[in-house]
Amino acid sequence: MSEKFQTLRFFSRALVPAILLCVYSTPLVSWSQQNFATNLEGKPFDPIRAAHGKVVVLIFVRTGCPISNRYAPTVQQLSTQHREDATFFLVYPDKKETPEVIRKHDREFGYTFAALRDPQHVLVKQSQAQITPETAVFDAGRRLVYHGRIDNLYEDFGHARKTATTHELADAIEAAIAGKPLSANATPAVGCYISDLE
Amino acid sequence: MTVVPRNLRRFVPLACMAALVSGLGCVTRAQQKNTTQADAAQAPVTFNRDITPILYRSCALCHRPGETGPFPLLTYADAKSHARQIAAVTRSRFMPPWLPDEGELKFADELRLSAGEIARIQAWVDQGTPEGNPADLPAKPKFAEGWQLGKPDIIAKAMKPYALPASGSDNYWNFVFRAPVDRTRWLKSIEIRPGDKRLVHHANVLVDRQQNGRRQEIDPGAGFGGMELTIESEAFDPDSHFLFWKPGSIPYVEPDGMALRLDKDTDLILNTHLQPSGKPETIQPTLGLYFTDKPATMHPILLQLENDRMLDIPAGDKNFVVTDEFTLPVDVDVLAIYPHAHYLGKDLRALAKFPDGRSATLIRIPDWNLNWQAVYRYAQPVKLPKGTTISMNFVYDNSEDNVRNPNDPPHRVVGGNRAVDEMAHLWLQVLPEQSTQEKSDPRILIVEAMAQHNLQKNPEDFEAHYNLAALLMGRGEVPQAIAHFAQANRIRPNEPTVNNAFGAALLAAGRAEESVPHLTAALNARPDYFDARYNLGNALASLGDFRGALAQFQAAVRINPDDANAEANLGSAFAETGDLKQAKLHYERALRLNPNHELARENLQQLGHEVNPR
Repeated sequence: MSEKFQTLRFFSRALVPAILLCVYSTPLVSWSQQNFATNLEGKPFDPIRAAHGKVVVLIFVRTGCPISNRYAPTVQQLSTQHREDATFFLVYPDKKETPEVIRKHDREFGYTFAALRDPQHVLVKQSQAQITPETAVFDAGRRLVYHGRIDNLYEDFGHARKTATTHELADAIEAAIAGKPLSANATPAVGCYISDLE
Repeated sequence: MTVVPRNLRRFVPLACMAALVSGLGCVTRAQQKNTTQADAAQAPVTFNRDITPILYRSCALCHRPGETGPFPLLTYADAKSHARQIAAVTRSRFMPPWLPDEGELKFADELRLSAGEIARIQAWVDQGTPEGNPADLPAKPKFAEGWQLGKPDIIAKAMKPYALPASGSDNYWNFVFRAPVDRTRWLKSIEIRPGDKRLVHHANVLVDRQQNGRRQEIDPGAGFGGMELTIESEAFDPDSHFLFWKPGSIPYVEPDGMALRLDKDTDLILNTHLQPSGKPETIQPTLGLYFTDKPATMHPILLQLENDRMLDIPAGDKNFVVTDEFTLPVDVDVLAIYPHAHYLGKDLRALAKFPDGRSATLIRIPDWNLNWQAVYRYAQPVKLPKGTTISMNFVYDNSEDNVRNPNDPPHRVVGGNRAVDEMAHLWLQVLPEQSTQEKSDPRILIVEAMAQHNLQKNPEDFEAHYNLAALLMGRGEVPQAIAHFAQANRIRPNEPTVNNAFGAALLAAGRAEESVPHLTAALNARPDYFDARYNLGNALASLGDFRGALAQFQAAVRINPDDANAEANLGSAFAETGDLKQAKLHYERALRLNPNHELARENLQQLGHEVNPR
């Protein structure tokens, strides 16, 4: 474990001081009510409320993140496969990515499900997302049951498998649909840090 | 990562993500604390003063619009939006991609960051990515737009594009560029424009003097798949230059006297390593060729150490070692080095042991990554005297701890050309010193020593038998050549090149009758094989079968109407079968093709007496 999960080390280093300091800070929840994610028409949109009891899958992506892009066929395939029971949304946390850029990008990469913009990182926080690409799965009861990597194709930057050997997102969707518990609720992902965005 | 207890989950991560991404109260506190700690350890770092010089020198070559890098790294905004990622990938030395360890021998254009530079980037991120004073910004680097060396003398585009699927694992495709020159030219540089640079991990040009690649295409111009190629050449024309493209590379210009000869009818094959991007792509590469008037006066050669036969790696073996060593028969200057393994390669090393017992590390790659393979040129040529032993020591990891392992679960892997097979190759571009006493080409000594060495490793080495036979034949040692051709022919009975050369050698030894089945076999495999037609014509003629010979020479001139020898021999075959009129016609054609053709001239004169006796 210690050798394989190099990314884990970055996370714990970066997060620990923040947690220690912030646990003591006071106003936590109030701002989240003023902020919202939007659809590509610019209207506020809450994907978790909009899903009407279905499982909700958020995929955090950036148009210029090559690892995000390589996952497009996998994610699209999963969304089609679980069309009946799960609703997928692409979430773009970079406020510089305009609806036009996003539409063009999604067309090119063959995405057929809805995209959202999350410039204020409301969904990012709700999903505890740190990386693009990263996924969050909410069950029908709107509980976050899984967040982290899509699969283990990438172990680290430059350490990619030929094909993934574990499929965390697919497993999480199936567990959420069946209402079964998961062995791991969170895994580290490899890609571009969302915290690098303003 | 452990799961945060349920009751805390809604708050703690919320707050700490806020700390990291937005400008709330607690962030400032966190940063202040960090900054104070950092201040104690290191001086303030600003983007303008401290980070831009690193980006301009080591990143921007690829990380700028239109280049391979997935995002530009030219401005403060560019760098800030990937700051933690930059810190992470430089700290792990994934970026900039530079595999060799720092050693005594320096390479040209080393991309490695110093420990100080890596620490500076880290400090910049720790200190909250301050921009600094605009007056500190260095001048923006100037990059040439379009063709890097100006307009090429010839621009060759792949005939047909290749459709790269949206997903799947890495892909290897070869494009055949057909005979880009109409006469012999001297190539000093080649710019490879692979198309969308984000899709092409690296590319390699191979000189195909025999148009072998075309024969592997299903449709003309379609190209063909495959990771590793063997290009045969019948003349003594050993590979001499690395024609390699990797992201961010500026075309290498050969020094005067080191140009590569490119003949009429020579194809260039572009071997590309492609990576699916997530959407369907088409790739249609272009080559820009730059010529010089200065022909080659120095003749480097690519020397290869390898030991693919040793590659039989049990599943789970983390430390499988493959070695080879070769002792130089002549003094050489090593100009460049190119180690090559596939996905299981871990730690690749090459050493030179000098005759006086000293040794030097030629290259050491402690964490091999096929995706960033490259040709490494030495900053100064490395002088290795005759008697120096070059050795390679490659370590492979076939366990599941090697994430690049293409097999899940791991299984036994042997040497081979496919991506799931392994390779253990070390190529060196060496410039042999021309001895003042000996007139002979020192490259021949190297190729011969190489072939002998390969036969020691593997008595069944087809290429070694064939190369050795060809060299012996060139020196006129026909019986020895025949022995090695026979071995090559036994190992690969259907190889048309061997059957033809073997037949030609037998013919040269006066064993025409034995040569016929080999030449016939060559033609069965490849009916348009000009050399085999010509040789079979000669064999039949020397056996007195002039009608048979006539048919072969007729076929030969249909394949290649520009060959004076074939025309002359066709003339002779007609003469022998009594058709003097046709004989005269073909002798005349031979003389038109080559006015100095002695045989055609003599025969025509003699024919003149017989046709018009005076």
